[in-house]
Amino acid sequence: MKPETKEFRSKAAQTLKNKTVLQSLEHVYTGFHEGRLKAAADTPDWEDLRTKGKAIKDHTIAHLDYYLGLLADNVEKNDGHVFFADDAAEARKHIIDLAHTREIKTVIKSKSMVSEEMALADALIEEGIEAVETDLGEYIIQLAGETPYHLIAPAIHKSRQEVAALLDDNFTVGDPIPGVDELTMLARAKLRAVFERADMSVTGVNFAVAESGSIAIVTNEGNGRMSTSVPRIHVAVMGMEKIIPSIQDLSTMLRILIRSATGQRISSYITMVNGPRKPDEEEGPDEFHLVIMNNGRDKLLADPQMRESLNCIRCGACLNACPVYRKVGGHAYGWVYPGPIGSVVSPVLTGLKDAHDLPNGSSLCGACHEVCPVKINIPRMLLELRWRAAEGKSDPAERASSMKERMLWKSWRIGMMGRRRFDFGARISRFLMRPISKHGWIKKAPPPVSGWTTTRDFPLVAAKTLKQRLAARKKSVDANRNRP
Amino acid sequence: MTDRAKFISGVTTSLGHSEVHTPSPEPATAFSDSDEDAKLKAAAALAVATDRANELIEQMAKAAENTGWQVHRVSNPEDAAELIADICRGYDATSVLRSTHGVLTDIPLDVAVRDTGVTIDVTESTDPGDTTDSSEREEAKKAAFSADVGITGVDYAIAETGTVVLHPRKGLSRLVSLAPPAHIAVLRPGEVLESLDELFAMERADFLSGTLSGSMNLISGPSKTGDIEGTIVTGIHGPLEVHLVILGNS
Repeated sequence: MKPETKEFRSKAAQTLKNKTVLQSLEHVYTGFHEGRLKAAADTPDWEDLRTKGKAIKDHTIAHLDYYLGLLADNVEKNDGHVFFADDAAEARKHIIDLAHTREIKTVIKSKSMVSEEMALADALIEEGIEAVETDLGEYIIQLAGETPYHLIAPAIHKSRQEVAALLDDNFTVGDPIPGVDELTMLARAKLRAVFERADMSVTGVNFAVAESGSIAIVTNEGNGRMSTSVPRIHVAVMGMEKIIPSIQDLSTMLRILIRSATGQRISSYITMVNGPRKPDEEEGPDEFHLVIMNNGRDKLLADPQMRESLNCIRCGACLNACPVYRKVGGHAYGWVYPGPIGSVVSPVLTGLKDAHDLPNGSSLCGACHEVCPVKINIPRMLLELRWRAAEGKSDPAERASSMKERMLWKSWRIGMMGRRRFDFGARISRFLMRPISKHGWIKKAPPPVSGWTTTRDFPLVAAKTLKQRLAARKKSVDANRNRP
Repeated sequence: MTDRAKFISGVTTSLGHSEVHTPSPEPATAFSDSDEDAKLKAAAALAVATDRANELIEQMAKAAENTGWQVHRVSNPEDAAELIADICRGYDATSVLRSTHGVLTDIPLDVAVRDTGVTIDVTESTDPGDTTDSSEREEAKKAAFSADVGITGVDYAIAETGTVVLHPRKGLSRLVSLAPPAHIAVLRPGEVLESLDELFAMERADFLSGTLSGSMNLISGPSKTGDIEGTIVTGIHGPLEVHLVILGNS
C-alpha cells in the first residue's frame, strides 16, 4: 500500500467535518473501549497477564533470529512450506506465482493487516484471479474500494445506508434502509457461494508458535475456519514479529488479545493449524504455506528506542482509547496501521519526513499506554519521533522542521539562556504585543506566530515580571514587619 | 546463502549481534513449563476433569450460556436422542450430518432422527482407505454445505470460557460444526477442563509425545459479527444457532 502519511492534516480536517463518520466512531468507544474496561475489571489477574504478555514478547523479539529459525524448521517438519520475504513486493510476487502454478481461480482472504501492506487482493485481481475479502468489514470496504478504517473493525465508518448501497444491487437512495440483520444475511448468502468455490485461501496469523510450527487464527465470524477447511491451498501471511515460543504461551496471549480487542472473554472461534490436512481427512488444505515478511520491521528491531513497537499484537485497544483517533478517523493516518500504534510504526516503516505529523497528532494523554495489553510505551516513542523530526540529529534526512521554525526556537533559546537577555525580552514582548491585544489577550497575531492564534488565544505578557512582583512583595512584608 | 539464511542473518545484524544467541536454559519454554512439568500438568488436568466432573459441568453450562450456546440438560441417552430429533424438527431439517464421536452412537440418535423423516449422514467417507481423493472431498464439502444441522460430540470443553474443543480428523470433518446453519454438540461429564491453561498444557504434552493433531478448533457460541454500525449479529459465516446438549448429572 502506497503511504499517504503526508496528508494527515487535510484528511483529519475532512473527517472532522463529516458528522456521520464522527457518529460511527463513537462505536469504538462505547462498544470496544468500554467492553475492554469491563473485561479487564472482571479478570482478577489482569495486570499479571499483561506483565507476562510483555515479558513473552520482549523475550521473543530479543531472540527473534533464533525463533524464526525454530519456527521455519517446525513448519517444515509439519509438511508445511515457509517463504521469507524481505518486503511486500517479494511476498506478493511469491503468492501470485503460487496461485498461477496451482491454477487457482478463486482466493478467499481472511482479515490480515500484513496482506494490506502487500495490497494483495488488488494485485491478485489484476492477475485475473478472483480475490474476495471474507471478513464482513473487509468485504464492505473492498466493495467500496477503500482501505481499513480500524484494525479490527475495518468498516466502522460506514453507515447502514452506505452498506446497503454496496451490498444490495437493488437498493437506491431513498428506499427504506434494511436492518443490520438483513444486511448481514445478504452478505452471508453472497459469501457462501464464494467459500464453496474457493481453491486458495490467504489468512493472517495472530500467533505463530515456534516450538511446534503452529499458527493460531482468532475470528468471530468463522471465515478463518472456512479458509482452513475448504480450499486446497492455505497461505498464511505474518509479519516476522508475530512469534511466541511455546504452545502454552497461547493461553496468556489469547486472554489479553481478545479482551483488549473486543472486551469478549473469548472469541467465537480460535483455529490452530499444525500443517496441511492429514491424509485420511475428508477436508482441509493439501498444502500449507507460511509467508514471513520483514518489510521494514528490521528498522524497528535495530532501533533501541523503537524496538518495543514490535511487541504489538494488533488488538486495536490504543485506537479505541485514543481521543485523537476517535475524531480524525482511520484514513487520516495514511497507511495500513492507524491510531497511536500507527503513528509510531508508520514513520519508521514509510519514512518520518512525510509522516512527521503523525507523532504530533497526539495529546500525549497516555491512554494508549494505559490500555496496551503488552504495555507498549507509545507516548515515549511519539516524543522520540517528534524530537527526531525537529532536530534531524539521528538522521538529517528525517528532519521535517522548517527553517522558520528552527530560527524561532533558536532565538527563543538564546533569549532564555541569559538573565539580562531574558529581562529585556520580557519588557520588549509586552511593548510589542500591546498594540495587537485586547483585554489582556491576543486573538489574532501576525506571522510567524499566526499559527498559534488560529486555534487559541495568547495571553499578553504581564505588566510586571515575577522578579519585580517578588521584590515589591518583599518590600511590603518588610515594611509591615518594621512597624512598631 | 539461501533466502532463509540471508533473512535470518539480517535479523541477527539488526539485533546488534554477530551470531544467533540461543536463549537459555530452556529455549522454547522461557515462560511456560518444562517438558516434564507440561506432561504432569496435562495428566493432572485430566484427573481434575474426572474428579470434579459435576462441578465443572455446572461451570461449563453457565459459561456456555454467556457465550451464546443454547444449553439443554438431559439425564439419559433416549432423552438426548429425542431432544436432538426435536431440535432438528424445529429447523425443518431435511438433511443432518454427524461426526463419529462415540457419544453419538451410544445414544439412539440415528433412529430418532430418521423417525422424523430426515436423512442423517456420517462425516466419514464409506471408503475404507486411509487417504481421501479429490472427488470424495468434493462430495464431503457439498454434503456439509447443504446440511441443515451438524451434530458432534466434544473432544473437550473449557469451563472458563464456555468453549467446545474439536480436533478435526477422519470421522470429524472440519465443516460439520461450521457449514450447517445449526450446530449441536453433545457433552458428557468428565470432558470439561478448567481453563485454557489446562487445554494448552495438554496440547503441548501431545506435541512433546508426537501426537499433536493436524488442527484444532475452539468454538465459543455462534458465529457473530459487529462490522455494521457496531451492532452484534449472530450467524455470518458459521452457524446462526448452536446447541449444547449436556447428558447426565442434571
